[in-house]
Amino acid sequence: MGKVLRDLFRFNREFAAGVILLGFVVLIASLSFVSPYPPNDSFVVPPDLPPSWAHWLGTTSRGQDLFWLLTFAIRNTLLFGFTVAAISRVLSLVIGLVAGYAGGIVDRVLMSINDTFIVLPLFPILVLFYFVMRDKMSWILLALVMACLGWAYDARLIRSVAMGLRTREFTETSIFSGMKMRQILVQDHLPYVLPIVFSTTMNNINWSIGLEVTLSVLGFTDINTPTIGVLVYWANQHTAMVAGIWWWIAFPIGLVIVTFIGLFLLAVSMNEFIDPRSRLSRIG
Amino acid sequence: MTAPALSVTGLRAYYRTSHFGVEREVKAVDDIDFQVGVNEIYGIAGESSCGKSTLIKTIAAAIRPPLKVLAGSVVFNFGGRAVDVYRAGEREIDGIRWRHLSYIMQGSMNVLNPVRRVRNSFVDFAFRHIGRSTAEFTRVVVDHLKRLHLEPEVLDAYPHQLSGGMRQRVAIALATVCRPEFIIADEPTTALDVIVQKGVLAMIRDVQREIGSSLIFVTHDLAVHANLCHRLGIMYAGRLVEEGPTSEVFRQPLHPYTQHLVSSLPRIGDAEPKKGLEGAPPSLADPPSGCRFHPRCPVAMDVCRGNVPPMVTVAPGRRVACFVAAPESRP
Amino acid sequence: MSATLIEVAEVGRTYAMGGLFSRHRVRAVDSVSFAMETARPEIFTIIGESGSGKTTLARMILNMVAPTEGAIRFRGTDLSTIRGAEARLKFMRAVQPIFQNPFEAFNPLKRVDRYLFMTARRVAGLPEGEVEGAADTALRNVGLSLAEIRGRFPHELSGGQLQRVAIARALIPSPALIVADEPVSMIDASLRISVVNLLRRLRDEMGMSIIYITHDLATAYYISDRIIIMRKGQVVESGDARTVLDRPQHPYSIALKAAVLSPDGTNEKTEVTSHA
Repeated sequence: MGKVLRDLFRFNREFAAGVILLGFVVLIASLSFVSPYPPNDSFVVPPDLPPSWAHWLGTTSRGQDLFWLLTFAIRNTLLFGFTVAAISRVLSLVIGLVAGYAGGIVDRVLMSINDTFIVLPLFPILVLFYFVMRDKMSWILLALVMACLGWAYDARLIRSVAMGLRTREFTETSIFSGMKMRQILVQDHLPYVLPIVFSTTMNNINWSIGLEVTLSVLGFTDINTPTIGVLVYWANQHTAMVAGIWWWIAFPIGLVIVTFIGLFLLAVSMNEFIDPRSRLSRIG
Repeated sequence: MTAPALSVTGLRAYYRTSHFGVEREVKAVDDIDFQVGVNEIYGIAGESSCGKSTLIKTIAAAIRPPLKVLAGSVVFNFGGRAVDVYRAGEREIDGIRWRHLSYIMQGSMNVLNPVRRVRNSFVDFAFRHIGRSTAEFTRVVVDHLKRLHLEPEVLDAYPHQLSGGMRQRVAIALATVCRPEFIIADEPTTALDVIVQKGVLAMIRDVQREIGSSLIFVTHDLAVHANLCHRLGIMYAGRLVEEGPTSEVFRQPLHPYTQHLVSSLPRIGDAEPKKGLEGAPPSLADPPSGCRFHPRCPVAMDVCRGNVPPMVTVAPGRRVACFVAAPESRP
Repeated sequence: MSATLIEVAEVGRTYAMGGLFSRHRVRAVDSVSFAMETARPEIFTIIGESGSGKTTLARMILNMVAPTEGAIRFRGTDLSTIRGAEARLKFMRAVQPIFQNPFEAFNPLKRVDRYLFMTARRVAGLPEGEVEGAADTALRNVGLSLAEIRGRFPHELSGGQLQRVAIARALIPSPALIVADEPVSMIDASLRISVVNLLRRLRDEMGMSIIYITHDLATAYYISDRIIIMRKGQVVESGDARTVLDRPQHPYSIALKAAVLSPDGTNEKTEVTSHA
């Protein structure tokens, strides 16, 4: 694994750039653990200071140091994205592989559930969800709901690949070797859908972060947990753009864009590396 | 005696790939020399991954990276005009293709555009080469089809309305409508059923005879060679190991590899137990030293391990690369 | 208990083709019958060209596809009554397949030895300590050894070696019947005859019955005891292999035999104007 990463880093410029960008973002997120200020305390520093040596990214109108606040925000945002992606990947993998392998009635039932989720309008449901939950809304809950809404497209994609794999002769050999369905799916088929899983993971993280930011900016999430979206929400509440506190909006958005680009580059390079065809030309 | 239609000299073509730091070199075609006469059918036989497809690509100037031609020359002679494929410019090669040199592949029925009538495929491929009025072009095409015993009505059909064998016949007609001097056929009958195969082979023979062109025919199926080719070259692991008139190669194979191939061919009416050959063809990424057949050869000697046997002429028209069959070639 | 190993009785398989409005039915296999005896191991060959239904028939015998008409009974048990993992394993212990394309028969990303070990463990039901020994014995029966195969990926082996590993895998549970669907059509000429010889040895030395499916009349003649010739799902001719192939009676069989190219050549060739 170490060698693989080293080779990727050395021979794939997209991968190197993606790792550097994402590493930078993760570094900033991890600095939250050594923050001198708790994230929810306000008026601990003088408000509305532009970036300076004392406060690198300036301070907010609520008297928070923007740099340290941003470390918490990006940490929560990343955590949110990864949680949504992890849960929805498991869902789409299990449903896609099983539907593709089993075929027949199982496939039809799973795919009609799948198609229901595809046509559900996301945004109104999330807003509705906020109004139902109100104060009980937490980012974990939101992540769960978004994961449940975010697996359907990719499950269909995985199913189409799994259907092809089902008819390959090696699947028949595995059956006649006495392998159980679970083993065939995990050992034989999973490696072939991993490229899809990886690239869709990156897409899914991008999608969930984007949606979370959108919801937060509009105030439809738990506004007491700092995320990038919540930061922008508060900035809007304090009319930061009108008041000329541009740094309050510019830096969070800049950081989230860096995250998007990093994830995109990783998705592109991973896709090429994990592709079984390129894998085959490397082994041996 | 006229000049040969094709002379291949010292041809060497390797695949060079580099994937995330893993460098590979596959010696697919190594030091191959042969010539094809005018109006001759030259067969190339060999197993999968022995380099025969690579050889064909190299001859047809259809190489793309990672395949690279390292040495040698490929010279065609189109009615007195010599064309050296690797010296000629892009334009000259383009002008030769289809008009003078055409190519029939295993899947060549797929050259027919599935959503257009066969007639349009003929227009797409051949109109600019024949270069006359539409009416005259149609007449040329119809005449050609008739000579090949195909109904002109196929022109109005869509490819999916034709059977696999018929599509392959139309593809052959399409490849030969410009009456090329040289035709390269790469496993054109492999995917076909035996009854259909027989008809397609007869058609290839007819069209070659009618146009008087030279033909290189590649297949792993020796029975097809026996029924079609004037001369036969046997390839093993990227090299030519034996060459001679087809009937003589079958009657008296010289190279131990050819001997095995010929003697192990099953025939109807013959249930005598036959012996298999041990081992497997080597990987071209790491071929054995010396004669590439020596690890499997029943008569290998010490000299075979360290030295590459040269292709030498042992009788008129017969060449072999083997120290046993041609003792005078030993170092 | 009868001594019939397998009985194929009036078996047919119909596929519905086409869309909602242009539905038509295609009979891939149409009332095929034959039987093989336990006491007399033989190579039973099914000859056919593409579209003859021979592969569908093989898949029905392997219980991978259910017949739409008729029944297939293995040792008296109707295959359609085999349900549940345990019963399936029991069936696989007695009937094993060999597939056409050895390069496709193993997952290219996995080591080939896993299939041998898995078969020994699951299908043959051997205790962990005997798994490697069983794999090695089976490989030695096909002229290989575990030492050569252990840890190798499919792309590191030749087509002939892979097909022999595939046969070795099928041998591990000592099946009574092997169904080989075009086992040599993708194998190189220099390796083909050894694989064909191997099938012959399974019959002669290990007493296994083999259903050999092919389009190649020459290898059929070389190893078969009995053959049936199929065309468009129907059997057009059947009987003793040598008799049928030496003197085919049905017009289709005659045409099929006539189309086989003899390696001895017919030599209706053109004159060459110049020799190189």
